[in-house]
Amino acid sequence: MTNLHDVARRVGTNTASKSKKKGLGLKIWKYRNMYLFLIPAIVWFFIFQYLPIYGLTLAFKEFSFKLGILKSPYIGFRYFKDFLTDPSFYEIVGNTLKITFLKLVCGFPAPIILALMLNEVKNLYFKKVVQTVSYLPYFVNWVVVVTLMVKFLSPTYGVINDILQMHEHEPIYFMGSKALFYPLVISSDIWKNVGWGSIIYLAALTNIDPTLYEAATIDSAGRWQCLIHITLPGIRPTIGILLILSLGGIFNAGYEQLLLMRNPSVLQYAEVLDTYVIRRGLNMGQFGYSTAIGLVQSIIALFLIIFANNLCKKATEVSLW
Amino acid sequence: MALYKDTTGDKIFKIINYTLLALLGISTLYPFIYFFIISFNDGFDAIKGGIYFWPRMFTLENYRIAFSNHLILSSFKISILRTVITTIFSLLLTAMMAYALTKKELPGRTAIIFYFFFTTLFSGGLIPRFILYRGMHLTDNFWIYVIPGLYSFYNTIVMRTFFENIPSSLSESAMIDGCSDVGIFLKIYLRLSFPVIATLALFIGVGNWNDWFTGAYFVTKEKLFPAATLLNKLLNEATFESAMNVGEGGRVNISDSMVGQTTKITPESLRVTFLIILTLPIICVYPFLQKYFVNGIMIGSIKE
Repeated sequence: MTNLHDVARRVGTNTASKSKKKGLGLKIWKYRNMYLFLIPAIVWFFIFQYLPIYGLTLAFKEFSFKLGILKSPYIGFRYFKDFLTDPSFYEIVGNTLKITFLKLVCGFPAPIILALMLNEVKNLYFKKVVQTVSYLPYFVNWVVVVTLMVKFLSPTYGVINDILQMHEHEPIYFMGSKALFYPLVISSDIWKNVGWGSIIYLAALTNIDPTLYEAATIDSAGRWQCLIHITLPGIRPTIGILLILSLGGIFNAGYEQLLLMRNPSVLQYAEVLDTYVIRRGLNMGQFGYSTAIGLVQSIIALFLIIFANNLCKKATEVSLW
Repeated sequence: MALYKDTTGDKIFKIINYTLLALLGISTLYPFIYFFIISFNDGFDAIKGGIYFWPRMFTLENYRIAFSNHLILSSFKISILRTVITTIFSLLLTAMMAYALTKKELPGRTAIIFYFFFTTLFSGGLIPRFILYRGMHLTDNFWIYVIPGLYSFYNTIVMRTFFENIPSSLSESAMIDGCSDVGIFLKIYLRLSFPVIATLALFIGVGNWNDWFTGAYFVTKEKLFPAATLLNKLLNEATFESAMNVGEGGRVNISDSMVGQTTKITPESLRVTFLIILTLPIICVYPFLQKYFVNGIMIGSIKE
């Protein structure tokens, strides 16, 4: 009782503190149904998101099925050391970085350019048709997309090679070509995502005040000048946020696509961190080792997202948090 | 911008712009048209190549055989089941979660939101997830397609933003009439949320329909393969003859289901047909929902 009195004195009055506590209880009771709504979510997130985070301790343990995660012995940073000294380390990380970088440089601007182009189209019918068609690859499975590629580019009966042969070229074995592998990966990724990505930019473009354009035309500004001085600054916040999100997924070099596209002749180019984790973990059962790699990936990605977020906050007014 | 007549520069720009866009449209559409045609063409004839715009030897044989193959049929059954079940439950649960989060006075709200948000920054990765599923007996189990896909923080935020745009006067007057929170949720919010529900239903549905990874790595029983996984496995078989090797780890034993049929079609045309059957539902559905998801993305991109 003495404590409560002290608290009450500090807070102000005795009755205020008591009703505060009562108020909280009442509120919780008032919202009891909402908590009920939230409980499945809380439980689900705990099981499927937070428990796996605990499972990251696997990175430091030597996993044995009999003992399970809890009881497997700790071995410290051995897996991390192993990975750093693994001969394929540079190849894998190199591939990851190369693919991500290429995808960012080529793939990030593509939807923006498409949105800008579509924005210039006055014929509404044409615009709508092109738009609808452009999202088509996004909704379609990677399995289907890669199948399309394999068959189109096949040396024996693919359409492209048919055309080449008609002009008396030698057929090119596209999918097995080392030199063409990255271009194929990047362009198929762009093909698949450009339409979908352009939706957000188109939406942002419609938010730009049209009177700005009118004023600019009266001042005899050309197309280019409108673009640089009105359009691009107008969508800068959107570009910023999407850039942050892309950087956050920087190590996601697209494992689904790569898993499907790789074949023996290009294997050295196709292995990235994610596919390596899958290979060592799911295929070869080296759980601890692959978890360690995954952990490193997650941490770096986290730092990148924080860094990019702060950068974006300074450059534009918008950020994730 | 139509205040003045187009200059020649403008005209050239327009021509280039329209041409490039048209090229994009064609390059996107043509592959699917091509395979659509091939699927209606006799398999052995198709190998010779040279078919571009119209089937040369029209046949329905490919489809007939595809639909009578029980492995293909079961995979579609799985795909349809998982898509429908996951979409319905996920929508309901996500809506509940989103509605609860709109209550700004909910005690502990900030902490709860952070609890959910944090999972988007940092995740346990593939392997711990795999072990978890194994431990929960979800592997080789139909429910692995449903339960891990029930919630997504992103979907919740999209829904919540939409809910917040519903005028509060509606719920206030309902409350004066004695309606409970749950009642308001059911009678008002869900009824008014058709656009966002359509959008999310499309996202969740397509995601489930196209997911081949879960089935490929977390499931070993052939009967539980969804269509996307089965297609993938089929594509990795060089020929159906090699698939006759009795179920080696990962190889699909489709030859059993095709006894007596392999002489009428080629493996290639079967694959193409399967591909078209897999893709066609989506192609037919998404243009109609275009209105909704374009708006949905705009809503989702308005962050607090």
